[in-house]
Amino acid sequence: MTPGSTSAACAALLRRDLTLAWRRRGDIAMPVLYALIVATLFPFALGPEPTLLARIAGGVVFVTVLLAVLLSLDNLFRADIEDGSMEQLMLAPQPLALLVGMKILAHWITSSLPLIVVAPLLAGMLKLPAPATPVLVFALVLATPLLSLLGAVLVALTAGSRRSGMLLALMLLPLCVPVVIFAAGAVAAAQEGLPWIAPIAWLGAGLAMAVVLAPLACAAALRIAMDT
Amino acid sequence: MANWVPLWLHRLGSPPVFYRFAGAVRPWALGLALVLAGVALYGGLFVAPADYQQGDAYRIIFVHVPSAWMSLFIYGAMAVAAFVGLVWRIKIAEVVAMESAPVGAAFTFITLVTGSLWGKPMWGTWWTWDARLTSELVLLFIYLGVIGLYHSFEDRRQGARAASFLVLVGAVNVPIVHFSVNWWNTLHQGSTVRLLGPSHIEASMLWPLLTMMAATKLYYIASLFARVRADLIASESGKGWVRELLAHRDGSGA
Repeated sequence: MTPGSTSAACAALLRRDLTLAWRRRGDIAMPVLYALIVATLFPFALGPEPTLLARIAGGVVFVTVLLAVLLSLDNLFRADIEDGSMEQLMLAPQPLALLVGMKILAHWITSSLPLIVVAPLLAGMLKLPAPATPVLVFALVLATPLLSLLGAVLVALTAGSRRSGMLLALMLLPLCVPVVIFAAGAVAAAQEGLPWIAPIAWLGAGLAMAVVLAPLACAAALRIAMDT
Repeated sequence: MANWVPLWLHRLGSPPVFYRFAGAVRPWALGLALVLAGVALYGGLFVAPADYQQGDAYRIIFVHVPSAWMSLFIYGAMAVAAFVGLVWRIKIAEVVAMESAPVGAAFTFITLVTGSLWGKPMWGTWWTWDARLTSELVLLFIYLGVIGLYHSFEDRRQGARAASFLVLVGAVNVPIVHFSVNWWNTLHQGSTVRLLGPSHIEASMLWPLLTMMAATKLYYIASLFARVRADLIASESGKGWVRELLAHRDGSGA
């Protein structure tokens, strides 16, 4: 890789973001703890009956993961905007969409990957039948990048605004409806012994589309939100 | 030469010109909307016969169906205005897109409320997780998100541009939401009014419906123009034409 080339810039940005995240390891654990605690609340609220828990387990894990991703999204661009590195990224000769894509990838690795790792544990706590667990993990592997990509576009839009936490939830959750439907649908189908490949294929199609479009949209949104 | 149309549209992009144009059109649109709504309600509530299966309860469609059409139509109009505003940076288009959102949200809300009032006697429940109901609810949330994003910026223009972008993201996503929810669950009846081919609806029921549709469209125009005028006065308050307007009004009022 020649220095200054697009691939070198992407690699450098990815390495920088991962290093920054690694230096604040405690923050990586936060979404995981959040998901664990929220998932623990469900048996308290609904009663510990295993059949009931097994029926709702897939949906609860998805909604919990969605909320954890939502919380972690809030600081996707914040530090960069506050210390001015976002302006430098915008001025860089490399396409902003690719650089933003790298930031989203780094964010997915640091916030969603740990969630995917603990998802089987959450599912076990909620008595999800063992054969459905691999489907759950597979669906999460496809669904969480989709959530990160969609969320990144909306976070970019709120970059210049005063308040963002609740607003981000209001904007992101309606757009996430298809992701939740297909991901939870795949797990429900697997639980009932039905073929689950169709909803997974839809998720994959959505992910393929989002990987192409979302970084472009995110870059455009950042340019809109940052110009003053 | 027919180049007066683009010329006129171009001039309409200027806030004072649009302000005067909207002020001239608004009373006519509002008056006509009220007359047509009165005629349609009379036709729907008194002239049209009762349904053989649903009795008189079906008459809520004369409010429900036009509102549902408007909830989608306004989103379309808003998306077009947002696109024009983002691409050509026309201020009026941004204002039109942003001021459409509350009207659209109101129509969506009316659709949901009348639908649930109708659902209680017909389906035996106020709310059901049916595909059309759910996508209408998601549409309401998207409208509210647009309104919220617009108002969360200090700078109105910047807020309008960000929210316009959200409108376009939503425009890509709303069909996906609709189809995914359709795949998920459906109970709502299919549509009976077709643009092409024969409608599955009696003519005496159809004309009040179509009249009401025209009335809601005109009401949208009247409401939108009133909102745009207020928004323009607020955002252009430092400009000369607003000062002139106020001075003129004070002069005539005193």
